[in-house]
Amino acid sequence: MSLTDVTTWEITKKQYRYKLKSYFGVFSSLVAIQLLAILFSLNGTGMSGGSSGTFSYDVNYYTGDIIQVLVMIWAFITAIIITTKAYRYDDYSFVTNRLISHYSNILFLFSASILAGIMVFFTGHLFRLITILLKNTDSIMVSELTLLGTLKGITASILYIFLCASIGYFVGILIQLNRLFSFLLPVLFVGALFVDGMNNDPTVFPSIISFFGSENFLFLFILKIIMASALFYILAISFSNRMEVRP
Amino acid sequence: MKVVECKELTKRYGKAKAINNLSFELTENKITGLIGRNGAGKTTLLKMIAGYLHHTSGDIQVFSENPFNNLKVSANSIFIDNGMSFSPSLTLEELLETSGEFYPNWDQRLAKRLFDYFSFNPLQSHVNLSKGMKSTFNMIIGLAARCPLTIFDEPTSGMDAGTRKDFYRALLKDYIAHPRTIILSSHLLSEVEDILEEILLIKNGEKLLHMPIEILKEYSIGISGKATAVSEWTSNKETIFTQSIGVDGSYVVIKNDCSLRDLEIARDIGLEVSSVSAEDVCTYLTSKTKEGIDHVFN
Repeated sequence: MSLTDVTTWEITKKQYRYKLKSYFGVFSSLVAIQLLAILFSLNGTGMSGGSSGTFSYDVNYYTGDIIQVLVMIWAFITAIIITTKAYRYDDYSFVTNRLISHYSNILFLFSASILAGIMVFFTGHLFRLITILLKNTDSIMVSELTLLGTLKGITASILYIFLCASIGYFVGILIQLNRLFSFLLPVLFVGALFVDGMNNDPTVFPSIISFFGSENFLFLFILKIIMASALFYILAISFSNRMEVRP
Repeated sequence: MKVVECKELTKRYGKAKAINNLSFELTENKITGLIGRNGAGKTTLLKMIAGYLHHTSGDIQVFSENPFNNLKVSANSIFIDNGMSFSPSLTLEELLETSGEFYPNWDQRLAKRLFDYFSFNPLQSHVNLSKGMKSTFNMIIGLAARCPLTIFDEPTSGMDAGTRKDFYRALLKDYIAHPRTIILSSHLLSEVEDILEEILLIKNGEKLLHMPIEILKEYSIGISGKATAVSEWTSNKETIFTQSIGVDGSYVVIKNDCSLRDLEIARDIGLEVSSVSAEDVCTYLTSKTKEGIDHVFN
């Protein structure tokens, strides 16, 4: 029987298609998490008010930020889940190698991030509609929506989600390499938060957040996120290349 | 062409050696049986051939390449065992279709016909199948994939007698129509000896025998008779197995390298010479001691 030659890209596409079908549960959890986020957001994020004589007013702020944050956590957890044995072994029932497994996972996470980012945008609007219907309001002020602004917003949302997924993927691979990391990483993270804020002047974490969070120039922002996620994926790939299958 | 070539292959788990200094070659288009007791290292060896595990030292080549993490080996071989996992979100029918996308020689018609013959429900999920049904489903994938190197690791575990027979018959028929290299591991040689061409017998990770099955059938002979006569006659011969029968009888299996004259002498002094089946030879060769389990109770 003659041997067939296949290319990495060819099999990556097939694995990716297989994953879109077989990781379906990931998407149902995405919907569930967004419904939960709407519920959490209904209380509003801020409130102010005032009065003068017989005149008084209350201002309530409602934003979809919680939705974005919860979806970012969802991406982090999803990425960890697809590095677990149950998911890794599924790949090997068909043609693959370690690199293709990673490539198709990254492609999958990227598509899931795109879908999640678009959904966050729509859920944000759904949530505003719900508040209008539910809350007793006299007047509503919304920030203006331009097409360009919307596209920028969605892009940023997608990239933040993707960044979280890449961190989750890296963490997941570390945990797969050694169980100790599942205990060590949270300890290190929380510990670092404490150490950073010890003299009431945290510097490291705020500067990391503002590095990704307050970039006004879109192109630079995209570059930052892509570089950071690429770094996490490259680390994950190089750490796991000698991993055995079903040992 | 050599499909699998191992040279002084060793695999260590911690300090224990699962595979120890194993050297052998498998040529193209043969069905080889990998036979050994539990824990002999069959699965470890097969997983190394499939590229799932590293080797510790020595050399292993599949299609003249190191199989570990190798795409060419993965695309041209398939490893079937009962640990195969499939996504629970796909139905059995979808799994067959997915396999068809991955394996270039996939025969969907054969897969579908076997699927119907074993009366699977196309809408069921793989995780809900019973052990025997899982094995049967995995076997269908293994056969229909028609990979140049097909590896079955204890494929019949959990199958009922009828399904086992069907499986071996299907394997043989498909092999004759589409010859390829097949490795079949089993601890029950009697079940598979009719379809095997070669046998590779391992014990504690080491190779005991690698020969065509016909030669193995004539590998040894059994001698029975009075204990004293038997022990005297076999004193200068290589014994494989000894068993006492009744009060003063004894049964000894020796390597079949004695001359016709030796055998005549044996008959003259009242010893009975019998042939030993391939299955029994393997059991005797791989047993822990020469006296077998009886030794524990003496």
